[in-house]
Amino acid sequence: MAETDIDLERLYEERRARYRVLVCVDGSDESYRGLEYASQLANNPNSDIILLYVRPIDQGLRSGGLQVRVARENMLSWGLELPGIKYLKKGLEQLMTGEGMASDWGEKITHTDIEGDPLGDNKIEYTNEGGRSIVLKLKTASTIAAGILDQYELGPYDLIILGDSGSWGGWAKSLWDPAVAEKVAMHAPCSVLVARELARGKGHLLCTDGSDHAMRMVKRSGVVAGKINSHLSVMSVALDVESEPDAQKNVDAAVTELKAMGVEPVNAFTRVGSPFEEIISAGEDYSFIVVGSDGRTGLKRFFMGSVAFKVMEHSKKSVIINR
Amino acid sequence: MGGYNSMNQPAASVRDEQKKDSFGAKLAKLLSDFSVHYMWEKKWFFIAMIVGAIMLSLPVPDGLSREAWIVLTMSLVATILFVTEPIPLPAVALLIILGQVLLLGSASSDVAKSLWNDSVLFIMGSLMLAVAVVKQKLDKRIAWIIVRITGTKTTRICFGISVVSGLLASFIGEHTVAAMMLPVGITLVTLTSDDPKKVRNLAAVLLFSIAYGCSVAGIGTPSGGARNAIMIGYWREFFYDPSNPETQRFIIDYVTWMMFAYPMFLIQLPFVTLILFLTFKPEYRDLSRAVVKLRAQVESEGPMKAADWVSIILFLLVLIGWIFVSDEVGMGTIAILGATAFLVAGLVRWEDINSGVNWGVVFLYGAAISLGIEMKETGAAQWVAENFLAMLAPIGANEGFGLWAAVSVLTTAVTNMMSNGAAVAVLGPVVLKVAVVAQESPIVIGFITAISSAFAYLTVVGTPACTIVYASGYLKTTDFLAVGWKMVVVSTIIMLLAAFVYWPFLGI
Repeated sequence: MAETDIDLERLYEERRARYRVLVCVDGSDESYRGLEYASQLANNPNSDIILLYVRPIDQGLRSGGLQVRVARENMLSWGLELPGIKYLKKGLEQLMTGEGMASDWGEKITHTDIEGDPLGDNKIEYTNEGGRSIVLKLKTASTIAAGILDQYELGPYDLIILGDSGSWGGWAKSLWDPAVAEKVAMHAPCSVLVARELARGKGHLLCTDGSDHAMRMVKRSGVVAGKINSHLSVMSVALDVESEPDAQKNVDAAVTELKAMGVEPVNAFTRVGSPFEEIISAGEDYSFIVVGSDGRTGLKRFFMGSVAFKVMEHSKKSVIINR
Repeated sequence: MGGYNSMNQPAASVRDEQKKDSFGAKLAKLLSDFSVHYMWEKKWFFIAMIVGAIMLSLPVPDGLSREAWIVLTMSLVATILFVTEPIPLPAVALLIILGQVLLLGSASSDVAKSLWNDSVLFIMGSLMLAVAVVKQKLDKRIAWIIVRITGTKTTRICFGISVVSGLLASFIGEHTVAAMMLPVGITLVTLTSDDPKKVRNLAAVLLFSIAYGCSVAGIGTPSGGARNAIMIGYWREFFYDPSNPETQRFIIDYVTWMMFAYPMFLIQLPFVTLILFLTFKPEYRDLSRAVVKLRAQVESEGPMKAADWVSIILFLLVLIGWIFVSDEVGMGTIAILGATAFLVAGLVRWEDINSGVNWGVVFLYGAAISLGIEMKETGAAQWVAENFLAMLAPIGANEGFGLWAAVSVLTTAVTNMMSNGAAVAVLGPVVLKVAVVAQESPIVIGFITAISSAFAYLTVVGTPACTIVYASGYLKTTDFLAVGWKMVVVSTIIMLLAAFVYWPFLGI
């Protein structure tokens, strides 16, 4: 027991040193666009990409007491692929045909039974000589969001990318049945990118409020932007006209920080009004809106309903919540 | 990469700080994280429990005994749990048992006895049979027979699939046939084109032909679905009195059920294909490429083996048993006999049955029926029925045709939210009492409930066939809504017409 603990610790340490991106695919176009972003971001020897498809555990009662696995086994015996594998393979193809990714990849397959289900978790790991790896993972979980969050527990990630499934509702809807992206964004301890219509090449819009956390976000974004050759712009929102100089100061601080890193921001501006409305309207002209979120967990985030979440919920652009 | 390493610095130092935290602080944090998450995930469980506690602490309404009020509360709480599923559904069954012993004060052995009856035995036996039948791998041959008769036109293949799936499903249960035929549908789709986007509508018509073909057939015979067996059980428990020969008519046997319901299934069949083709326009009008490849696959199987014939004969024997001797020995006995025969003949392994049947479901139906019978015995069902009728009276739906329609709409609404067997188990006692209070025939109302519970075309969870077909990953939940409402309307009209025009001829 103790030995495995040490092994796990070491594995975690190794993983922390790498930049790991978890991309959740569900077959939608958005999720593949998110994957494209990941492949640009993680196109270096120290980054790994993990493709994840989560299949909800079958509920026996809903299928009248006959386990759905009877049907699945029947499908397998006909030589048909289970759903999910198709999506993962498509993602892998997209990654491997992408620029700079084509090299020799070795293959390693592992399989974990989930609660005695032979069709449980499956994992295929491709590694190349440089030590990079691409992992395809098919996971079974009670709900899709829970599956994604469980996956985080298995190995820390630096960024989770999801396609927006489009069903965001108001507070009552969130209480009843929150959208997967909403739930993951709420609970995930790392940065989350919700991919919507990814119009590329229009750059990132960083929204800062001058806090330490926002400054860290600016720093990280500078690194990321250099990696994927994207433009950066900085904005800050003042609640009223009197506090506009403060907002300007925040923007200036961010610009200075970025310049020190060798990144030249395209635009730097302030707006006056309600933060999340202004951010959303300004964000129309950019590919990504980047917002910081402090480290509050779970329920607190839910009830506080931070600006970051409102932006995420209402914007039509891709949003990155940076933690 | 230097940037990333430096980014990791603050996080690492936070972790170090956490390590220095005292054990107590860690534990407290762990507990609070855990409890918040736990409460959130299980919120509906707590809401249901609070609703139950409030109801029990309120004064008992006029005209109800304390026991009836407890049973009513338990039913409501169970219904909330059935719909929201915060805990595994078999756990709801356990709660029902606990409630009967601890809240109602029934003797433990009495409760245990009320969990098993012929209906539950029948549900268990037919599930075991279902696994045995699917494992016989006759699906390729059935598929080949279908396309040999229908030719290669998409419309004709879809109609053929619906008819054959339906005919089989009406006897061996919709879930069985859906599981058997699903690969047939997907194979036809994938052999036509590898790109799912090019065959989206084709996949929809083929897979819905299976799902809806099976769903409309589930009403045909008592063995079509668990809900039918549950209703038959309720009729016997509620109205049959061995000392009174008059009540003999409440024992509905296999053939009687078929006379009522089978024609309705046959009338619905053509509408399935019609509605599907009006809703989805398949990309390919002809599937000859796929059919040729399917033929090659079937031919590689070789001729029928002795084991195939034995399994077909065994199944026919079970069918004959249900039709001719089930009144004497009980339908459950025949189902168990069939499953045993498959096991003795070595046609199916126990391990396959064990992992293919969800035993919790058997348990759940047992508990739900047991609670339903308590509803009747404590008078709770009577009370709800009276209030339900009083509510319907202003709109004139408290008798005759209006009442039939109201019961049908109520059942359809409930069944789209939970599994249809559970819907019948929950609603059965109430609607049967409604029939008595309104002086309608309990048999007509019972049939309307059992049959309407098959109209769960709107959601993935509604009918077993829909759930199984959805597991293929080719359909979206919105597809079910797009085509389902048309099916609900057509099916309801056909059923009410049958109740109005056809059933009176059967002497009810």
